[in-house]
Amino acid sequence: MKGAIKKRGNIIFSLMLLSLAFVAAVPEAEKAYGAVSAGDLGKRIYEERCMVCHGDKGDGKGLVGNGIMRWAEKSGRVLTVYARDFTTGAFRFRSTPTGCLPTDDDLVRIIDSGVPRSFMPPHKELPIEEKKAVKEYIKTFSPRWKEDEPCKVIAVKKPGYVGSASSVEKGKKIYKEMKCWECHGDDGKGKGPKSDKLKDDWGKQILPFNFISGQLKRGSSPENVYITFTTGLDGTGMPSYEDSLKEDERWHLVSYTLKLMGLVK
Amino acid sequence: MSEPNHNGIDSFRNNLKSIIDSFASSFLRSGKPTSDKSRASAMFNNFFLHVQGVKTHMNTLRPTYTLGLGLISLFLLLITTVSGVVLMIYYNPSIENAYNTVKDITYVVIGGSLSRNIHKWAGEGMIIFVLFHMARVFFTGSYKKGREFNWVIGIALLVITFGINLSGYMLPWDQLSYWALVIVANIIQSPKEITDSLGITQYFDVGGFSKELFLGGLNAGKESLTRVYLLHVMLFPILMFIFLGVHFWRIRKDGGLTKPDSFEPQESDAQLFSPPEKKGGIFTTNKTYGLMELAGGRTPAVDKDVENTVLSWPNLLIAELAVFFICFAGVVVYSFFIDAPLKELANPLIPENPAKAPWYFLGLQELLSYSAFMGGVGLPGIALLGLALIPYLDREQEHVGVWFSGKQGKSVALQALLAGTPVLVGLLAFVISFGWFRNWWPNVPQLLITLVNPGNLWVVFMMLWSVWVIKKTGSTRMGAIALFTMFLVSFVILTYVGTELRGPNWGFYWSHSQWPPH
Amino acid sequence: MRNRFYIMTLFIAGVVLLAFTLFAAYKEMNPEWKAYQKEYKELLVKGTRDEATKKKARELETNIQQLYLGGLKRIDRCTSCHVGIENPLMANAKVPYRQHSGDYLKKHPMSSFGCTVCHLGQGRATNKKEAHGLAHDTHWDYPVIPLKYIQSACVQCHDLDMLKQKGADKIVKGEQLLRENGCMGCHKLNNIGGVLGKALDIIGSQPRIYFPMGFVVGEKTPYSWIKQHFDDPRAIVPVSEMKVKVTEAEADLLTTYVASLRAEEMPKSYRRILETQKDGKTSEDGEALYKKYCIACHEKGKDSLFDEIFMHTIPAIVNPAFLKVVTNDYLKKVVEEGRAGTQMTAWKASAAGLSGQAIDNIVDYLTSKRPKEKAVPFNIVALKGDLKKGEELYKVRCALCHGANGKGELGINLRNPVVQGADITFLAMTVRDGREGTPMPSFGKNGVGLSDQDIVDTVSYVKTISKKK
Repeated sequence: MKGAIKKRGNIIFSLMLLSLAFVAAVPEAEKAYGAVSAGDLGKRIYEERCMVCHGDKGDGKGLVGNGIMRWAEKSGRVLTVYARDFTTGAFRFRSTPTGCLPTDDDLVRIIDSGVPRSFMPPHKELPIEEKKAVKEYIKTFSPRWKEDEPCKVIAVKKPGYVGSASSVEKGKKIYKEMKCWECHGDDGKGKGPKSDKLKDDWGKQILPFNFISGQLKRGSSPENVYITFTTGLDGTGMPSYEDSLKEDERWHLVSYTLKLMGLVK
Repeated sequence: MSEPNHNGIDSFRNNLKSIIDSFASSFLRSGKPTSDKSRASAMFNNFFLHVQGVKTHMNTLRPTYTLGLGLISLFLLLITTVSGVVLMIYYNPSIENAYNTVKDITYVVIGGSLSRNIHKWAGEGMIIFVLFHMARVFFTGSYKKGREFNWVIGIALLVITFGINLSGYMLPWDQLSYWALVIVANIIQSPKEITDSLGITQYFDVGGFSKELFLGGLNAGKESLTRVYLLHVMLFPILMFIFLGVHFWRIRKDGGLTKPDSFEPQESDAQLFSPPEKKGGIFTTNKTYGLMELAGGRTPAVDKDVENTVLSWPNLLIAELAVFFICFAGVVVYSFFIDAPLKELANPLIPENPAKAPWYFLGLQELLSYSAFMGGVGLPGIALLGLALIPYLDREQEHVGVWFSGKQGKSVALQALLAGTPVLVGLLAFVISFGWFRNWWPNVPQLLITLVNPGNLWVVFMMLWSVWVIKKTGSTRMGAIALFTMFLVSFVILTYVGTELRGPNWGFYWSHSQWPPH
Repeated sequence: MRNRFYIMTLFIAGVVLLAFTLFAAYKEMNPEWKAYQKEYKELLVKGTRDEATKKKARELETNIQQLYLGGLKRIDRCTSCHVGIENPLMANAKVPYRQHSGDYLKKHPMSSFGCTVCHLGQGRATNKKEAHGLAHDTHWDYPVIPLKYIQSACVQCHDLDMLKQKGADKIVKGEQLLRENGCMGCHKLNNIGGVLGKALDIIGSQPRIYFPMGFVVGEKTPYSWIKQHFDDPRAIVPVSEMKVKVTEAEADLLTTYVASLRAEEMPKSYRRILETQKDGKTSEDGEALYKKYCIACHEKGKDSLFDEIFMHTIPAIVNPAFLKVVTNDYLKKVVEEGRAGTQMTAWKASAAGLSGQAIDNIVDYLTSKRPKEKAVPFNIVALKGDLKKGEELYKVRCALCHGANGKGELGINLRNPVVQGADITFLAMTVRDGREGTPMPSFGKNGVGLSDQDIVDTVSYVKTISKKK
């Protein structure tokens, strides 16, 4: 498309100047989030591969998306899994602060690698243009993509002390003070006093992560854990601690989390 | 006529009064040992004591010379025998009852657990002290000057000691016993490795035959227990006492214990013994044929006293009594605190892993892990043969009775220790880290491994080193010292590796706590 | 002094020897049980009012007490410390002096039964540590059983019906729990059952070394192992795939029953088991069999479940959509042959050991929930499958769940010989109608919207997928 515009640039240019008035009404977000338009490709792929769970309106109410999928965790918990509802624009795995939309890269990454330990499979065999096209189509489900201001991506730089014994100790204190145990339990097994009452944004019961149950869905590297604390998991009961904890405090919490998961001695 | 009656009653009363004296005089044929002559007679005319000489050389009585090791070995044997007989009152050698009778001895019989502990620790202590005694005899050159054959008798006694300990280990019929029995039976079968490599097993299965003979069948079971019991309480003890009798008789006939040519009495000797009353002959001018001594192969010089000797009564006897008490006290103290082990009832379905022979065989078991034949038959055979031949390959007669034959011997021994230890440890570390032929070339023929394995390599090194020492020092004695020192070093190191550093599946573990949890 | 050195050493050694001989003598004269018997005497003397009993009590001899039980081939010396076990005066005393609870000793007199036949432990020992045999270094494989599991002993001689009437509810409940929670789906008992777990037949008699005690909390005995294994299998055996969801109380009941599965038979004169009970060939109905063997993994069977430990989906076998399209023969085949490569065992007589009749009963039970309406027939003969198109469709629609080569993770493994050998009509109807209530959607007109031709193309391709790498 870009090539075509360039070729016909001279002719179009004047027309564009005239239609500037009409174009001015288009919000900036569209430019900020990339100018690739979804078109038919994205829609087709969505309908072939995604609609069956995520629904034709992107609300997660597809044929099998709405509470049919059951997952038994390593710890023995059985969860009912719902497909993501795209209409609210609330996504869990972002690199932007809480309340923000994810970046394009975030979305493409999820499409590519799937979400481990869930029913969202990877799509590694899809060519990159198709992934991008689907991503564009998904964005059409929520008006927020047009309305919201863009957010800055959070920088992640892991300091050297992560995983050390003193960092783990500090993290343990923070875990206690910040009341993580209220949901995640004292031993991190997800059976804290508030854990039974948690509901996600869609009113469905959601259980806090059981640290013993294996890999985190976003990935279990220290950077991934840190980013979860910082961005929060929007749509679930996991808040962002960007404002309530300093950066190094969050890294100490990372050390303690890794310890609970058994990834650090 | 009434006189005889009075004398009769009086003499009866007198006899009653002096009954102790007269009993003592009848008991000791030569009367109470109050003079040197009567002390000499007390030794000479006594059924048990006359195996020892009337006079003892002062050097023999110096504790630093022999450290009493031979005596300790003997006393441990006696203690073990007596405690063994006590245990026989209750022990029953059938596989249904053996374990339960041992339990009952430990729990119910008064003094039972102490007796069992004494028997076990005196028996195992005997191995340690017999080895120390062998080392002492070797390092003082006491296998020379006519004592060559007695050394060989001693080697035979060493083998019997190992055998009697091993057969005793198998009697409680617990997991330790049963699997030790299985291992030993398989060691006995190890010639099969050679006959298999040569392809002659179907005609000449010496390994299989010996194993069946030992076990009384194809598998360890009730026949094996009966045979092992027979060995332990009858055959080995009889052999032991026969050989021991010969061993003591030869000590006497070979001239008592060795002493250095340069022996001079010291001041410190005064607290060890009391010299004879008269100097220059204990004999009166009348010759008596009853007292004879042979010292140094010369005919008895009747009116010349043997120099630097003291009367055995009481000096030698007091020394022996002291050693006995030390030995017995040591055994009782050890037995008071530490119980003889007893594991679960023997269970053929649950092998001990690792299944280990008793500690004194673990050096051998380590060698076994390299080659069954070499570890089980070859190397022990070579070792025993080598030990037995020492007095015949080293016939130098100098410096007998001197520890290490002097300064040169000390440095030869030290060098052998310092050279042998890293070589052996290095060899073991190599095998543990990298494995051996079969790990690198799975199809290598077994015969090659039998011939070239760490155990053989070590023996070859030992022999080459001692030959080098012989060349360098020009003395077979020095070579013998080097060889024997290396033998001791390897015994200690291999036993340590087998005991502490080998875990399940004979794998290498730095400590027990690292063994995988069962 | 002459011979001073030796006389001194002799003297010192002699003193040491004498001292330790005296210590040893003292130890021998004061074994543990003597103290207990002494205190028992004092309790008796204090506790009684009348002089005659007091006199008798004072005159009691302190001795090892033992019961020689020839028929049971054992000797029990427990009464050396538990002296008052038969004395009604000791009804309220503290252990070990207390009288035995209940009236068990009336029907099971000590002189014939002893103690260890029910309570286990090392009867021959005469000190507490080794008699109870709980510690690892006592080297005794059958430690004293915790009282909450004591009913596991009754089954050696009595049958469950009798025990039910007499109020031995724990063992009866335990047996019921085992039978109705599908345990035999993975564990063999009496030669019938799955092979994913170890057989349970003589587990109550296994020596301690049989149980890997590395992760057991508290006393490392087989009973703690079994109980903690029920609480959380993977805490005790990290690689375990065991599916169990029981409360703590139920875990205790199950432990009681499992501990009762022992090897030795009691001598005939002791046994009270009715002969008719021993015949285990009573034909059980399908529902009971389903509870015995299937329920642990398949639960109610209506919904499918992806199990993270199995790394497989457990299919919904009582699913109405499934039952509509599947034939009884196919179901029977799947049950008999199992699904190699998954946790689904082969249940035929030569494998897990269920008889043909038993499997028929199970299939009847499963299909009893079959909906009355029949599935819409699929006329597959009329349409020819285009393999190339089928491959395209498969890649887009099916590979997501069933894997690019059919191996499947979220979806079932299509390469499995049983699936490959299924009737093509069955496969086509499955794709068309889906499995309602599971992640397999309907791909036909009522669902995703594929045409019959599309479905035939796809299914034909699926039938060839095991040939692909």
